[in-house]
Amino acid sequence: MGLEIILLFKYVPNTTTVNVDPNTGTLIREGVPSVVNPHDLVAAEFALRLKEKYGGRIRAMIMAPPSATKGIEYLVGMGVDEGILLTDRAYGGADTLATSYVISQAIKKVVDHYDLIVAGQETLDSSTAHIGAQVSSWLGIPYVYYVTEAELQDGHMILTRQLETYVEKYRVKLPALISVLMHTLQPRDVTLKNKMKAVTQKPVKVYTNNELQLNTLCTGLKGSPTIVAKTEFIGKIPRKMQVIQGKTPEEMVSWLISKLKEEKVI
Amino acid sequence: MEGMNILDQKFDVAIVGAGPAGLSAAYYLAKKGFKTAVLERGREVGSKSIYGGRIYAAPLKEIYPNFNSIPVHRWVKRERISIMPDYESMISIDYQGKEAISFTAYLTEVVKWMGIQAESAGATIITDVPVTNFYKENNKVSGVVSGEDVLRSDVVIDAEGVNRLVLEASGIVKPLKPELVALGVKEVLKGESKQIEDAFGLSQNEGLAWVFLGAATANTPGGAFLYTNRDSVSLGVVVLLDKAIANVKDHVSQLVESLRTAPALKNYLQNLRISEYSAHLIPEDVWSLRPERLVYDGLLITGDAAGLLLNAGYTYRGVDFAAYSGYLAGKAIEQAHAKGDYSAGSLSSYESMLEESIVIKELKRFRKVHEVMKNGLLFEKYPKIMSGVMKRMFENSDGPSKAWDAINESCKENQYSMLKLLIDGYRMVRSL
Repeated sequence: MGLEIILLFKYVPNTTTVNVDPNTGTLIREGVPSVVNPHDLVAAEFALRLKEKYGGRIRAMIMAPPSATKGIEYLVGMGVDEGILLTDRAYGGADTLATSYVISQAIKKVVDHYDLIVAGQETLDSSTAHIGAQVSSWLGIPYVYYVTEAELQDGHMILTRQLETYVEKYRVKLPALISVLMHTLQPRDVTLKNKMKAVTQKPVKVYTNNELQLNTLCTGLKGSPTIVAKTEFIGKIPRKMQVIQGKTPEEMVSWLISKLKEEKVI
Repeated sequence: MEGMNILDQKFDVAIVGAGPAGLSAAYYLAKKGFKTAVLERGREVGSKSIYGGRIYAAPLKEIYPNFNSIPVHRWVKRERISIMPDYESMISIDYQGKEAISFTAYLTEVVKWMGIQAESAGATIITDVPVTNFYKENNKVSGVVSGEDVLRSDVVIDAEGVNRLVLEASGIVKPLKPELVALGVKEVLKGESKQIEDAFGLSQNEGLAWVFLGAATANTPGGAFLYTNRDSVSLGVVVLLDKAIANVKDHVSQLVESLRTAPALKNYLQNLRISEYSAHLIPEDVWSLRPERLVYDGLLITGDAAGLLLNAGYTYRGVDFAAYSGYLAGKAIEQAHAKGDYSAGSLSSYESMLEESIVIKELKRFRKVHEVMKNGLLFEKYPKIMSGVMKRMFENSDGPSKAWDAINESCKENQYSMLKLLIDGYRMVRSL
């Protein structure tokens, strides 16, 4: 039988190459290539290991413009089986509530059966960590976050959840939704075999609102109660650079201490 | 091969690397009906492509009938060569031409454009996948290996660029040595197009290619360049790697920094902001870099991997040569296919077509440049002598010196005899 897994992911601007406009405080996204949210790659690796252990199938799901197909291709390149792209102009401008609404309704309408939904801890570009919690609420299924390990036992899942100073164990009924603690695993590389499949077979199912028939008052900008009132640019913290003086370690230390005192740091 | 995972899908041609060479080959072959796959290790087409800033148009016009849609920034109508004895002064030669034969562009945009041409012609481009070796059957290259996966093909084109990891893994070439390559470091400085036009005295769509010798490379062999793009400037320094290791005290990137902040360039570069920086190796001693052959059974080698880059001393030319070599490799495959024979002998028409083409003709014309370049005097002594001459002529408050006296005195000051200078000059003219 195996596990039927749905992997939720976001396709985000590659922030290592993004600059912030000092005047407006917004990201300069112009011409910046997008990537699969790195924390979702960790979730993908987590899902792939579960599939390797228990068998089954992984479907990567995203609500995004069609350009996110490249993100699905990357995940299929890693070993994910197929992708589900939810795309419609009526879904544009969504906050997390409207996004989680579309995702959860799509799961109800187009996914016949699933055991586990896996998400990354949060996204690189907005860091809300809302989607997992909201999707599980819409679906009425258990939600455990900061998961580092998962094991199948008598039709239940034993989950390890890591917090700062302690570790929790959960025993949850399936289906359930988990978000994977960031940096838990090193995501695997794309392989030639899988990427060839992704590019030549394009295993992506696309659903627009024609198929999903959702109430558009609940989707996109209209369905989004969040208002970003203002974004303020924090600016750069000014730093001074000096090369430590002195020939011996002792000299260097006393030079450093005197400098720190001078700067009133100590 | 044990533990190998041979893919069911087989291609007519597999191409290693989605740069100018690989994509131009893919475009030609796909158009001719060959089932073509291009494998690229970068995240997207063009993500590993770096160059100075200028492309010569003629070879690309021959390859691409819809050349007109290539993302040109400016057509180069102005050329300038400056000798910088220090960062404050320079002696320049300006050339303003009637016809532009080269253009400035972002290589990422150009390569992306080539990718679109290749894909629309029917080629399959697979990114994120590094090729690790060739796959061989009966000693003939019959596909490519990536990790544990094997993609079979009738013939393979190596277009992997200067860093030839696949050719090294297969034993065709030895690892690069510092004396065979140069290191280029480049910044893109962004502004408004009007600002660029005003600062450099250009009209709309008109571009400038500017080369610097001397202080710009810390007086070591190499050159520095400035190209005007639509709304930015590409500014970079190229140094011979072995000479830089021996002579450049700071990090090479510091050379670009010093050039950007040079008083001599202040009026040109003010109010531009750094939007990009990059570095790349450049084939330098192209004749030593060149693999023994450019064709083997089932394999053709193109572009930088084949050392097909022209180093004219003051400028480099590689993108159009790479593209053209890919195009010729495509033609050779087409001919070999008609014979039903992909042996080295059958593919050798690639070598002969290349020999007859502008690529090898130009490479031969500049054959001796590398030797001249290695002569450090060109980059250290001569700029100082020349500037001494100019200072005596133009900054002498007692009135200008006679040119001959100025040269004589400047040579003395720099402990160099005029006779030697004349001999050097004669040698250089002969080799260029």
